[in-house]
Amino acid sequence: MSEAPASGRGARGAAGSASAGAVAVDVGDLPLGGGALAVLRPALALLAPGGVLSVRSTSSGFSEDFASWCRAERHDDLGAETGPDGATTHRVARGADGVARGPREDGMRLPRRDGALLAADVLAAVPFPARADPGSGFAPRGAQVEPGGPAYPVDLVERDRVAPPETARLYDQAVAAQWDAARDVPWDRVGALPPALERAVGQTMTFLAENELSALWVPAKFLPRVHPAYAEVAMLLGITLADEARHIDVFLKRARAGGGGLGVSHVTTSRSLLSLLEQEDFTEAMFLLSVLGEGTFLDLLRYVETHAPDEATAVLVARARADETRHVHFGLAHVRHALAHDSTLYGRLEAAVRRRAATMGDAGVPPAVQDALTVLAARGTEPRAVARGHEAFRALLHEMHENRMKRLVHAGFTPEQAQTLSDLHTPNFM
Amino acid sequence: MSTIVLGAVAYDAKVVPIWEGIRAHFREVGVPMDFCLFSNYERQVEALLAGHVDVAWDTPLAHVRVRRRTGGASQSLGMRDTDRDFRAKVVVRKDAGVRTLADLHGRTLAVGSRDSTQARILPLHFLAQAGVDLARVRVLPFDTDLGKHGDTGTSELDVLAALRDGRAQAGAVGDLVWVTEQAAGRVDPARLEVLWTTPAFDHCMFDALPSFPQDRARAFWGALDAMKWDDPRHRRLLELEGLRRWVAPREEGYASLVAALDAQGGW
Ligand SMILES: [Fe+2]
Ligand SMILES: [Fe+2]
Repeated sequence: MSEAPASGRGARGAAGSASAGAVAVDVGDLPLGGGALAVLRPALALLAPGGVLSVRSTSSGFSEDFASWCRAERHDDLGAETGPDGATTHRVARGADGVARGPREDGMRLPRRDGALLAADVLAAVPFPARADPGSGFAPRGAQVEPGGPAYPVDLVERDRVAPPETARLYDQAVAAQWDAARDVPWDRVGALPPALERAVGQTMTFLAENELSALWVPAKFLPRVHPAYAEVAMLLGITLADEARHIDVFLKRARAGGGGLGVSHVTTSRSLLSLLEQEDFTEAMFLLSVLGEGTFLDLLRYVETHAPDEATAVLVARARADETRHVHFGLAHVRHALAHDSTLYGRLEAAVRRRAATMGDAGVPPAVQDALTVLAARGTEPRAVARGHEAFRALLHEMHENRMKRLVHAGFTPEQAQTLSDLHTPNFM
Repeated sequence: MSTIVLGAVAYDAKVVPIWEGIRAHFREVGVPMDFCLFSNYERQVEALLAGHVDVAWDTPLAHVRVRRRTGGASQSLGMRDTDRDFRAKVVVRKDAGVRTLADLHGRTLAVGSRDSTQARILPLHFLAQAGVDLARVRVLPFDTDLGKHGDTGTSELDVLAALRDGRAQAGAVGDLVWVTEQAAGRVDPARLEVLWTTPAFDHCMFDALPSFPQDRARAFWGALDAMKWDDPRHRRLLELEGLRRWVAPREEGYASLVAALDAQGGW
């Protein structure tokens, strides 16, 4: 990978500093309403209030209108002189109203990496602000914003609560890793399975799809609350939603491709996912969904992949798992970043996990899911194989706990905190 | 403080949200204010003189009438920044061969409503002062929205339309309408141009009777002055009312209108 020099911001401010001096434009014989404004307005916009612009014109109509335009726009008309060539030079000082905030991005040149322009380099050149002003609305970060705009109904306005630095890199990876649920799975390699095994596949896929639906709905709720200054967060959430849509699609297709059809949706699952959907705090939701839920889901997907009865199932689950790995990374980055900036966060997260555990009572893994995963690992219902399948399922639960502990420690929790949080995690996995 | 009752003329539907918004702002800064809407400035002036309203938001024509009816003792409370140094434009068709003011003789000059200061009263007055013999000019009047004193701008757009389709070779409009129409791209610069610009004159004013208490007048001005262009709560109101900031009153900008009304018998 070739490293181009980071974008130069040194040249910026050239225009802003022109405020001190004077700028001149020549509008020729253009009338005011016939193009002259398109030359003189941008020239004035480069000046700070009080900065002087000279406008040379050979149009008598322009000279009649210029003073009125200055009055309408509250610029200070400093008078005009007519030279020996008959051209009139007007001088105008820029008025103080409506001056857009912030410097112009003059001279910004983004680096190329092997010819590619990465979102991560955009973010490096135009970093997230620590706080964002709801009054800047949908103005792209880095644009000069005219003051006086309406406040937007966004409440995720602090970088440390919404926008970890890894966001743009994860977005770049997500864009590069998109795949097609219709064509990138070898659908002609769905096996002809014994009915009990095919029904186990159908039940497993039903459970996966139900959880994936929640993973589409929950982040979607927070996307419109993200301040547009942190657009990369919304962009990453957007592409994550596309990932989840594909997962729902691909799991339901597999359930119906081999004759098994869909299985049962359990109250335990429904109750668990509703408690996710009801989260109102972005960080708490990211923690419950992405760190604990999708993290645990990774182990489940690996299990299904390992025991996949046919190539199509193995491929589609592997592809979904690759996407989920990114989702877990974003969740970890988000929580790690927030934990580092908010000492009260652990307490809030533990309380959120406890509240959720309380709504779940002493429910275990939904029975139909437990059975399907056992039969899947057994490759059927032959008793000795089922004994091995049962062992595999028990090993899965253990592995989920071990890996949750590792992830929680990686996210910045102490081993004791990690133990508490992992023990309280939902028996629904997600 | 008792509520200040303000009169304004409902020349457009937007007048309601403008004054509801300004009323909310006044209350926020502790100056209780309410407003009455009138259908024309004549009725509003009579209501002010009769003491039915405390303050009237007046056109220049209404303002100079209030000054005259109170023997010059009425109180002027403030105006828009845009109300200062208003001008009118004499716009001509490029194909009409009108190069000087004298070329207007024998031509058709479109003008606005007879109670429009910027599109009728003052352009005709200033043209006469500049040596144009109005008896030799065919004046094409557009007496639309009488009683609104030109506020709607309709008669000025009528003037521009008459110029566009050749019913007139020249026309008088206010400078703000002219530059706004140009900036919006609604003027064909190949067809129309400005022949002449009038001297400056002032436009609208808040009028109060001589008996309006000083502390209430000060409170009224203080509330106006607290409206800021860069504040999103005020921005929309100021845009609708056509100003960036309220400015202190001055009387000298109305001298030409008084002279014009004397000369034209327009009182
Ligand atoms: Fe997913
Ligand atoms: Fe996911």
